[in-house]
Amino acid sequence: MANRKEVNNRISSVKNIRQITRAMEMVAAARLRRAENRIAHLRPYAKAMRRMTRRAAEEAGTVQNVPILDEREVVNKLGILLVTGDRGLAGAFNANILREGLRLRDQALADGKEVVFFVVGRRGDGALTFRKQTIHGSWTGFTDRPAFTDAREIGEALTVAYIDGDVDRVEVIYNRYVSPLTQYVHRLTMLPVQEAEVVGEGVEALTGADGELVEPEGELAEAHARSYWDYEPDAEELLATVIPDYVDISLYRTLLESAASELGARMTAMRSAAENAETMIDDLTLEMNRVRQAEITQEILEVVGGAEALG
Amino acid sequence: MAGETKFTVEVLTPEGAVFNGEVVQLSTRTVVGEIGILANHVPVMAALKPNLLRLKISDSETREWAQAHGVLQVFASHAQLLVEEVHTVDQLDAALLESQKSDAEARLADPESGEASKEAAERDLERINLFLELARGA
Repeated sequence: MANRKEVNNRISSVKNIRQITRAMEMVAAARLRRAENRIAHLRPYAKAMRRMTRRAAEEAGTVQNVPILDEREVVNKLGILLVTGDRGLAGAFNANILREGLRLRDQALADGKEVVFFVVGRRGDGALTFRKQTIHGSWTGFTDRPAFTDAREIGEALTVAYIDGDVDRVEVIYNRYVSPLTQYVHRLTMLPVQEAEVVGEGVEALTGADGELVEPEGELAEAHARSYWDYEPDAEELLATVIPDYVDISLYRTLLESAASELGARMTAMRSAAENAETMIDDLTLEMNRVRQAEITQEILEVVGGAEALG
Repeated sequence: MAGETKFTVEVLTPEGAVFNGEVVQLSTRTVVGEIGILANHVPVMAALKPNLLRLKISDSETREWAQAHGVLQVFASHAQLLVEEVHTVDQLDAALLESQKSDAEARLADPESGEASKEAAERDLERINLFLELARGA
């Protein structure tokens, strides 16, 4: 049986762990709230963008000359963007993305396609490098607080790769955020941009009335609704300049959701780590009492034994 | 001029709203050229170039921002600007912009770069150059 000092040491080290994991849980929770806010901030922008695009598309009639809308008939080179985190200690957050990414790669290779990896986050970058995969583009250092400029940089690189024919399709694998307790791995086709996503049906539902963007009403609005719109440049060209923004916006959303998922996963992982530490402390405290009792018993026996020997 | 007619302006970025209120005049630049919007302007939709965005709120108050690419819609005396980035001029970091500039120029000059890559670099430069100009002029 361990002696008292050993058990005491273990208790204090587990107590430290409990304290650290508790602190990490709280930090993650605070950051998570901010990440959720950022998702909410994006919504009015994305909605207004859809509404404008739709209007321009109605005016233009057709959507042409937008290379990122063109679906390639044969996909020879599949681009896979893995969205992971910069840090671990978040349960299966990073591992799930990697597993799905490698599964998709194997499937593509079996179909005779070439695979081109892009990766966000140090964890994914490190794991792919370890597996000796060639990484076409890698972005790190912002995963718990992504800015729109980060998304734009990635969007630009993916779009360029698509237009220049380095990839024929880009799939994004990321953790979709539902709640602090629920995230799941989701796959999204980023390029070509799905036309339905931009101007098709279903857009109306997204621009629905939730009071965030109020359409003006009244006499002037009615007059303007019937009047001609000025388009600078003309609607078709305008559309061609706006559609690439969809890549940046949906990437930004992806990064934000991934950040929220990472923080949620870390919060959950740290909470259960703290709970485990708690159980361990209880067990060790029991053990400690037992050890102490054994020592006391031992001492009494010794005293009694000694007295008997003297008597 | 007292009692000028005002109209509402909303400036939105993906990271949140920057301005939402009444103004007398809005001025910026579209792909076609400088544009100034007053109340009761005809409906417009325009692609915006990086420029100094100026909102005249009253005779004594004008607010200014460095604005990146975006879209403007004016409808029924309500203007909506969707802009990738908006900064007040004093938020701009000239040193950082310099390094972004040389990065974009390198991409533009790289013979390996494809057509799309050059176009993207040119678009970046448009923004970086304007921001730099404003940062230095401040």
